[in-house]
Amino acid sequence: MQVKSFMFDMIRTELEDAVGVENVSTSEVDRASYTVDYFWLSRMWQDRGAEGPKPDIIVRPGSSEEVSKVLKIANYYKIPVHTWGGGSGSQGGALPMAGGILLDMKRMNKLISIDLNSHSITAEAGMIFQQLEWYANEKGYSCMHIPSCLTCGTIGGALGHRGIGILSSKYGKIDDQCMSMEVVLPNGDIINTLPVPKHAAGPDLNQIFIGSEGTLGIITKATFRLFELPKVMKHHAFLFKTMKDGLEAGRDIMQKTQPSIMRLFDEAETVSIIKKIIGFEKRGAFLNLSVDGPDERLVDIQLEIIKEICAKYGAEDMGSEYGEKWYQNRITFFYPDHIMDIPQMFGTMDTVADFGHVEEIYWAMKNAIESNFPGVRFIAHCSHWYGWGTMIYDRFIMDNPPEDKEEALRLHNQIWNTGVRAAMEHGGVINDHHGIGLKLSRLMKEQYGPAFQVMEGLKKALDPNGIMNPYKLGL
Amino acid sequence: MISQNALHHAEKCRFCFMCRHLCPIQLQTGKEINTPRAKGLILSMENKGTAKFDRDMAQTMYECLICDACVNDCATGYQPPLFIREARTEAVANDLAPESVMKLLENVEATGNIYGAEKPSFAREGKDVLVYVGEVAACKVPKMAESLLKLLEQAGVSAKVLENEPGSGAMLADLMGYVDEVAQEAKTLANAINATGLKTVVVLDSYDAEIMKQRYAAWGAEIHAQVVTATQYVSDLLKAGKIAPKASLAKKGACHDDDRLARTFYEFEPIREMAKAAGFELVEMFNKERLAKSCGSAVTLAYMPNIVLKVASGRWSDLLRTEAQAILTANPQSYLCLTQNVPEGKEVVDLYSALI
Repeated sequence: MQVKSFMFDMIRTELEDAVGVENVSTSEVDRASYTVDYFWLSRMWQDRGAEGPKPDIIVRPGSSEEVSKVLKIANYYKIPVHTWGGGSGSQGGALPMAGGILLDMKRMNKLISIDLNSHSITAEAGMIFQQLEWYANEKGYSCMHIPSCLTCGTIGGALGHRGIGILSSKYGKIDDQCMSMEVVLPNGDIINTLPVPKHAAGPDLNQIFIGSEGTLGIITKATFRLFELPKVMKHHAFLFKTMKDGLEAGRDIMQKTQPSIMRLFDEAETVSIIKKIIGFEKRGAFLNLSVDGPDERLVDIQLEIIKEICAKYGAEDMGSEYGEKWYQNRITFFYPDHIMDIPQMFGTMDTVADFGHVEEIYWAMKNAIESNFPGVRFIAHCSHWYGWGTMIYDRFIMDNPPEDKEEALRLHNQIWNTGVRAAMEHGGVINDHHGIGLKLSRLMKEQYGPAFQVMEGLKKALDPNGIMNPYKLGL
Repeated sequence: MISQNALHHAEKCRFCFMCRHLCPIQLQTGKEINTPRAKGLILSMENKGTAKFDRDMAQTMYECLICDACVNDCATGYQPPLFIREARTEAVANDLAPESVMKLLENVEATGNIYGAEKPSFAREGKDVLVYVGEVAACKVPKMAESLLKLLEQAGVSAKVLENEPGSGAMLADLMGYVDEVAQEAKTLANAINATGLKTVVVLDSYDAEIMKQRYAAWGAEIHAQVVTATQYVSDLLKAGKIAPKASLAKKGACHDDDRLARTFYEFEPIREMAKAAGFELVEMFNKERLAKSCGSAVTLAYMPNIVLKVASGRWSDLLRTEAQAILTANPQSYLCLTQNVPEGKEVVDLYSALI
C-alpha cells in the first residue's frame, strides 16, 4: 500500500509539472463532482446514496501542449484518461468509469480568431458553446448550433458526441458545421485535420474524430462556419389528426422548403409536455416550425408552401401563437420541475431513420416498450429532419421505478435494450445526436456488424494501450 | 446541516447544468466544482452520507461571488446562493472556513469592518437626506464618497452622514450567511437611520442597498425612510436639471452593471444617464444589464484575491472587445475590483467623480 502511494505521488508530481500544481487535484470534493453527469443511471446512483465512479486525479490543462504532456505520461504508465467538458451528456460518456486521470478541459476556453472573410470562428475546445455563440453574435453572426445544452456543454463535448441544435433542419449538425480541428492523439502528438472540410484528399479526418467520444484522441481546437444572423424568423404551428399525417407532411416540407426548426409531437407528448409548457390543449399530433432568412419575402413564400402542404394532409392551422410560444420556451423544457427527474425513470432513445422506415420504427418501439414493461409510458417527437428522413426523440417514462438501485439499473438497461433493438430491427440507427457513451456501448457491435472492425482497427492503431475513455462507444 | 429549504434547492440544482456558462468563477478557474450544480451535488452527497463536510468542501463554498448570475438564469427560480450561504454558516460554526475568511470575521469583530481598520468618517449634518456611505467606499474608495456628497451639495441637497456609521450586515452575510449577528447589525443600523427622522436614505453601495431593502424587514429591522440607490437619486437630480451635464469628452465608455443593480434592482438606466451627463459617448459590452458578468466584490477580493483578479480580468476582456476606452461604474466594490488590474490604455471611471 505504501509503494502504491509512493508511485501515485510520483505520477502526481509529473502531472503537476505538466500543467502546474494548482491545476491538479485529488481532493475528495473535486473527485465527487465528476461522479454524476446527465445520464439517468449516474443520477439514480447518487440519489440512492451510492458512490459513483470517481477519477483518481483531476488534471486541468491550459493548452494543447499541456494535453500532449499529460497523454504522454498517461500512456507511459498506462493510466486511463477520461475527458470532461461540461459533463452534461446524457449517455454517461464522460463518466470516469475506469478511474485514473480526469482531464477537465474548461480552462481551455479561449477565442482564437474570427474570420469574417471566410465566415469562420476558431476557439479552444473547453469553451462552453454559448460563449462561442456570444462571440459570434457580437459580430452579427451565429454558429447556428443552438442545442438545448448550449449553455451546458463545451465545444469538445458537442463534437465528441456528434451533437445537434434546434436549427439543424436548415443549418445541419455539428459535423456539418465544423470545418477543421486540432486533435491530440493518445501518444501525445498534436495533429490538425485539413483546413477545409470539403476535398478529395482521402477520407475526412474530421469525421473520424467527431463522435469519437474521447476514445481516439482529445479535440483541443475547432473551427466552425459562421452564418449571418437571420433578419427574419417566423414561427407557426399545425395540428395533425395522426402521427402518420404529420410524418408525411414533414417529409414533403423538407423536400420542398427549408425550415430551420420543425418538431412533430405524437399525441401522448402533445397532451403532456406540450400542454404543460405552452398551454396547448387539443389532442392530435402537434407540429411547430420556424422559417428564417435574410429577407421576409423568402420566409413568407416558404410559409405559404408549408401551409399548403399541411392542408393537404388535413392539418388544422394553429397560426403563429403556439409556434412562438414553443420558441420562447425552447430552453424552459430543460430546467428542474419542467423536465422529467428522479425519482422517475426515463430515457430518450433518439433513433434516426429514413422516411421509408420511420413510422414503422415508431410503432415497433412503442409496442415493444409498452407491452414488455407495464407501467412504462412511451412518448415521442421528431425534432430534427433531413431531406431523406428524420429522427424520433422517443422517451420512456416510469413514474415508480424499483427503489433498489441494482434492480433499477437492470430494468433500465432491459428497457433500453428492448427499445433500441426494436429500432435497429426495423431499419433504425442506434442514435441520432446524443451519442453512445456508456449507455449504448454494449449495442454498438449489434448496430455495425462486421463493419465495427473498422472502428476497432482505428482504436488499436491510435490507442494501443486502450487508455482513452475505456468502456465507451463499444471500444 | 443546512435547512430543508436550502437542501431542496441543492437537490434541484445537483442534476441541472443550465447556468454554468454564467458563473464568473467557473469561467476563470475551469473547475467543475465551481459550478452551481456541483456545489448542490456535494451538499446532497453530504446529506446522504457519501461526502464529508470538511475544509475542502467549505473552501469550495467560498469560491462563489454570490453575484446571482445563476439565480437570474434559472427558469424555475432555484437559488444556489441560498444553499451556499447556509453552507458558509456551517463552515464558520464548525471552524472549517478558510483562514482568510476567519481573519475577516475577526476584523469585523474588532473594528466593525472587514479591513480591520478604523472606518474613516464622512459625518456631517444635513436636513434633506441621509447618505449611507458604507465600509468599502469609506475605507477603500473614499473619493467616490466625497464626490457623491459634493454632487449633492452642488445640487442643493442637504445631506447628513452618520457619525460612526454602523455596518449594514452585507459583508457579514456573505461571510457567514444570514445569522443572528447579521440581523443584529441590521437592527443597529436601522435604529440609527430611524433616529435621524429623515425620510430618504441615499445608499452609495448597491450591496448595502440590497440587504436593507430585501432583508431588514424580515429581521424586524424596518427602516422607516425610503431607501434609494445613489445612482437612482443622482439620475433623478440630473433629470430635474439640478446637476449640469458636461460637454462631450469625445471619449467612449461602457457602463458596468454591478451585481446588485443588474440582478436585484434591475436598475440599468441611471448609470447610463450619469455616464452621458458626464460627457461619455456610450458603447455597450455584449454581456450587459441582467447578463453583466461580475467583476468580483470587495469581500471576495479580500479573502480570495487571486481568483477575483482573474474574475475582474474576465470583465476587462469584455471591455477590450469594444471600442470603449473606459469602464464606467458607480459602485465602490466594482471600482475596487476593476482597478486591481487595469489593461494598458484603459481606465476605470468613477461616475460620481466624473460628474463633478
